[in-house]
Amino acid sequence: MIAAENPFARVWGAYLRLIARFPSVGQIVPFLPLIALWALVVELGVFPRAFFPGPVDVVQSFITLTWKGILPAYLEDSVVRLLVGAAVGIAVGIPLGLLVGLSSKAHKALWPILLFFQAIGDIAWLPLLIIWFGFGLQTMTFVIVYTVLFPVVLNTVLGVRSIPLELHRAGRSLGAPPWRIVTEIVVPGALPNIITGLRNGLGYGWRALIAAEMIVGTSGIGFLMFDSRRAGSVVEILLGMIVLGLLWYAVDALILAPLERATGQRWGLVAR
Amino acid sequence: MKSLSIRNLSKTYFDPYAGKHVTAVQAVSLDVPEGEFVCVVGPSGCGKTTILNMIAGFIPLSGGEIVVDGRSVSGPGPDRGVVFQSHALFPWKTVLENVAFGPKMRGVPLADREAIAREYLALAGLAHAADRYPNELSGGMQQRVGVARALANQPAVLLMDEPFASVDAQTRMTLQEELTRIWQERRPTIIFITHDVPEAVFLANRVVVLSKGRVLKEIDIDLPRPRVWDALIEDERFKTLSAQVLQLVRSA
Ligand SMILES: Nc1ncnc2c1ncn2[C@@H]1O[C@H](COP(=O)(O)OP(=O)(O)OP(=O)(O)O)[C@@H](O)[C@H]1O
Ligand SMILES: [Mg+2]
Repeated sequence: MIAAENPFARVWGAYLRLIARFPSVGQIVPFLPLIALWALVVELGVFPRAFFPGPVDVVQSFITLTWKGILPAYLEDSVVRLLVGAAVGIAVGIPLGLLVGLSSKAHKALWPILLFFQAIGDIAWLPLLIIWFGFGLQTMTFVIVYTVLFPVVLNTVLGVRSIPLELHRAGRSLGAPPWRIVTEIVVPGALPNIITGLRNGLGYGWRALIAAEMIVGTSGIGFLMFDSRRAGSVVEILLGMIVLGLLWYAVDALILAPLERATGQRWGLVAR
Repeated sequence: MKSLSIRNLSKTYFDPYAGKHVTAVQAVSLDVPEGEFVCVVGPSGCGKTTILNMIAGFIPLSGGEIVVDGRSVSGPGPDRGVVFQSHALFPWKTVLENVAFGPKMRGVPLADREAIAREYLALAGLAHAADRYPNELSGGMQQRVGVARALANQPAVLLMDEPFASVDAQTRMTLQEELTRIWQERRPTIIFITHDVPEAVFLANRVVVLSKGRVLKEIDIDLPRPRVWDALIEDERFKTLSAQVLQLVRSA
């Protein structure tokens, strides 16, 4: 029991027990030293305050912008765009991935094209899109759908092709017709990869969306940040960055991680 | 449970690396009457898996015919249940759902197919594991579920390709005893592939020895049942038969 006499080990042990009981504590505590360091640097006056505002300034700006309704409205715009992108990406990407994964004809015909267009990054389309659609919603929707689509398709194909041949054979010799093989074996077997594709797609899509909002947007968090630059408001830029981080954190903790726990991890297909 | 008849079965693979054809199975004929337990043994590469995969309908035949229950078969079907070496359970389905899968595909209503699945799980000694996922089971339990899943579909023949090869020796002996018990209770027609000679002699009514894609010899195993290792391990007839089969396999 030497470890127990070490005060640090005791505090650490207590912390582990605490986050085991209240997992959300474990999500917040790691940030506390970071915020303290930030506040310290600001208080020491290393940089001019207007260039490098502190946590309190950001919180104040958060309250003001929320009060005025600007932040909620822009946040809603960005999130709705992300959701539209996710919905179209799922509705098109998963069926397309299943097709390419299952049919060697479709694979031969479409795989090179998918790889080619995947390589042309989302933002690389912007010059063309601005000429075609101008500054606005259509351009942003294209970028987000494009960005979500490819990781979903490619990972779905990967997932379909990684299902062991034995499982197909087992299904067929238990009497499953081809369409039941798809619903009972191919879709669940590919699901862990599909979720990975969704995670990557949404992650890239979220970043691409913010970039697109900065360049072509008239609303949204990216627009808020770029507009603040014009006004020289560093505090609002920082606020925008923190909102981006928090939002992704929430998507991960509330949607993606539970999905992963309920599928691949539960079935022992991926490491916990 | 119905009979199986193999006529003049042959299989030639094309080996794309060597650029030539390889004959894996040559003119194999075999009759398995209803309710018989046949073990197929032979050295590695003699074509055991190839024969089983053709009976299961997983690979096309190069020649010959397979007749199950009076009908010539091609392609996989629920009349031939398969137990895989790699268990091949569906990881996203619970044990109960795995066993109920065949009846589900036949359109049996939920309550009925769950009752069927529970019956076969109980037969395999796994009633307590119904709600677990396959990855939460030991290797021996996974194989038991594999057997229950295949039997729950009431196939005409049960095909097993070295199903106990990857479990430890003690568990394997238990599984062998359980399989003979299940066979005695239900009398399924079984074709069981193995390269383990004592296993073949312990399980079978008849052992078929293969050599280079051909049937070398068929030996009737007239040991009394029920068969348990404690009794058979010292049994003179068991020893003689095992030695006889082993000699054939080694000469093959
Ligand atoms: N897909 C394939 N393509 C080419 N040759 C093959 C293929 N599958 C099997 N063979 C060849 O056919 C022969 C029989 O193989 P098979 O797998 O049936 O043997 P086996 O008796 O099951 O062996 P083991 O005891 O090692 O499992 C071998 O020579 C093997 O190399
Ligand atoms: Mg084999």
